[in-house]
Amino acid sequence: MGQRIRASFLGLGFIGIMSTLYLGLMWAPSVAIDAFDSPAAQKIFYWHVPSAWASFIAFTVLFIGSGLWFFKRSPTGWRLHVAGAEAGLATGLMTVWSGTVWASAEWGTPWDWTDVRLNTFALLTLLALFLVLGRRSQPDGVETRDTFSAFGLFGFVLVPFTYIATRFWVIRHPGPVVAAGSDGSLQSEMALVLFIGAISFTIFIIGHILTSMHITKLEQRVEMLQSEIDKGG
Amino acid sequence: MSDILLAFESVEIRRGMGIVVSDFSLQVSSGEVVVLHGENGCGKSTIIEAAARILPIEKGQVLQHGELVIDSEGRRKVPTVPFGLTLQQNGLVGSDTIAEHLGNMMSICQTKTNLATVLKQYSLGHRSNDLIAHLSGGQQRKVSVITGLLPAMISKSPRLILLDEPDSGLDDSAIQVLCQHITSLRLAGHAFLIATHDERILKCATRINNLKHDTEQKPPNGDAWQLPEVEVTKPNNWLMTGFAYNLKTKAGFANNGIAGFLTLGILLSMVEPFELNNLLGLKMGFVLLPAFVAGLCGDPVVNLLRENRALDWWQANTATPRAIIIPIVTGAVLTTISSYIFLENLQYIVIVSGSLTTLICSLIIGFLQLSTNKLSRPQAVFIRLLTPILILPWSIVVNELIAYI
Repeated sequence: MGQRIRASFLGLGFIGIMSTLYLGLMWAPSVAIDAFDSPAAQKIFYWHVPSAWASFIAFTVLFIGSGLWFFKRSPTGWRLHVAGAEAGLATGLMTVWSGTVWASAEWGTPWDWTDVRLNTFALLTLLALFLVLGRRSQPDGVETRDTFSAFGLFGFVLVPFTYIATRFWVIRHPGPVVAAGSDGSLQSEMALVLFIGAISFTIFIIGHILTSMHITKLEQRVEMLQSEIDKGG
Repeated sequence: MSDILLAFESVEIRRGMGIVVSDFSLQVSSGEVVVLHGENGCGKSTIIEAAARILPIEKGQVLQHGELVIDSEGRRKVPTVPFGLTLQQNGLVGSDTIAEHLGNMMSICQTKTNLATVLKQYSLGHRSNDLIAHLSGGQQRKVSVITGLLPAMISKSPRLILLDEPDSGLDDSAIQVLCQHITSLRLAGHAFLIATHDERILKCATRINNLKHDTEQKPPNGDAWQLPEVEVTKPNNWLMTGFAYNLKTKAGFANNGIAGFLTLGILLSMVEPFELNNLLGLKMGFVLLPAFVAGLCGDPVVNLLRENRALDWWQANTATPRAIIIPIVTGAVLTTISSYIFLENLQYIVIVSGSLTTLICSLIIGFLQLSTNKLSRPQAVFIRLLTPILILPWSIVVNELIAYI
């Protein structure tokens, strides 16, 4: 896929994300003063929710890539795995960071170790960090790819688990916002900004994944050329 | 026709991203010595390790004594008939004595005998009760070679022996003894697959395989191996082996116990227990924290066996020894002390919870360590990044105990 297309996705996504931030901070109404302990901090949701949505897309890509490598030995699958892990790490960190800022204001503590959703999501992000750092610590090979793909497959079990966690074990974290069903009580302006955010993050993460896959492909080509030189020398 | 002890059927093996062995088929029968001979990197060690189930295979299957031991679908089965294995990196644990290590191999074979004569032949008779860590490199290699030959030396029925570069690091007299043993064990009906460049060992071969073609040759004659007096023993028990390793090396205390006691000390340096009188939640957290930290240090036996590929050797031969008993005891001791300090009483349910916390955490971390063991650099893989998830169940246990008390 051409460089222009990848750059377009990244550029469009970036503009959308910036627009979401502007609209969220300047245009969307604040929540009712009695809805939260710290209503002003709620505006961070316009960053937190779309980045969480994008992270689930990235983790899905990680899962598909891991499965394609593990079961089919597909080189494209491995590139998807690498791209999904990197995108999952980036968006996961955005989500965790913004969540802790909000939790500090709303709950008075940045983290709750007994909340199932917080902890399973943190594990997903740590899994992505493990896959990114771990892959760089090992020489490329089938053993490396098999092991990390197996972890990628295992990690995906946590995605639906994390999503439904607030439905079954609500301790502190609010319930689902994206695809929550008809009982959601968001005002239309708020929903619109969240929608623009989700679309923008989705476009950006697609651009990120395409770029990352391209870089991995180039890395593999360099390695192949180097081993050809080794054989020739 | 003689028994086929080892069969490769159209096997393909990758190492790194390259295919090292492709469409490889080979049969090794009773009374045969097949030597894999070829230049460095041609796949000799790869074949030995695939036969021992250490390396995964991409295509085909490997059978021992007619039973599947590994295939490309990921099926792996510990061979029902014990086999001998000498890896390039010895697979020894430094804290074992020679007698203990050979005893482990004998218990895997469920047979016991006196090996004084064999040890003497390799000039190790006077060293049998020395720690392997105290031996020279060459002496350690001898122990590894004897371990590889042992299943055949103590068995009347044919056994498969896999030797990877057995000559490396051995002196001339030891290689001479090794050649005698290979010949006499072959004449007793045992089968060998050996990777080597050594001319003296090559002469012992009935067939030389360069990974493409077999060349038959006439091996030297001699006397068949005389089976020493043996007695049948109980099978090796991974639980008891793990316990014995722990007891001998104090690895459980060094790895887990000290971390737990340090945590307790740090907690005591931060707060006087009486200051927590009205804070039951904090008290319970402090009571269970040392046991939790001890568990987070992982399985001490798995850590111990990472030396010299001992973990691979154990996994090839039988189940991996694991620490079960010591973490239970460590957790119980730590929680008893912390309960006495912070709660000023001892409650059975709290101590059991502490004990199980250490056990379960150490088993999970041990599992994570084992799952990355096949990587080229398992120690560099950041597996500990996944451990914070254990904080959630630990917090739930603390909360449940507060409610219970």
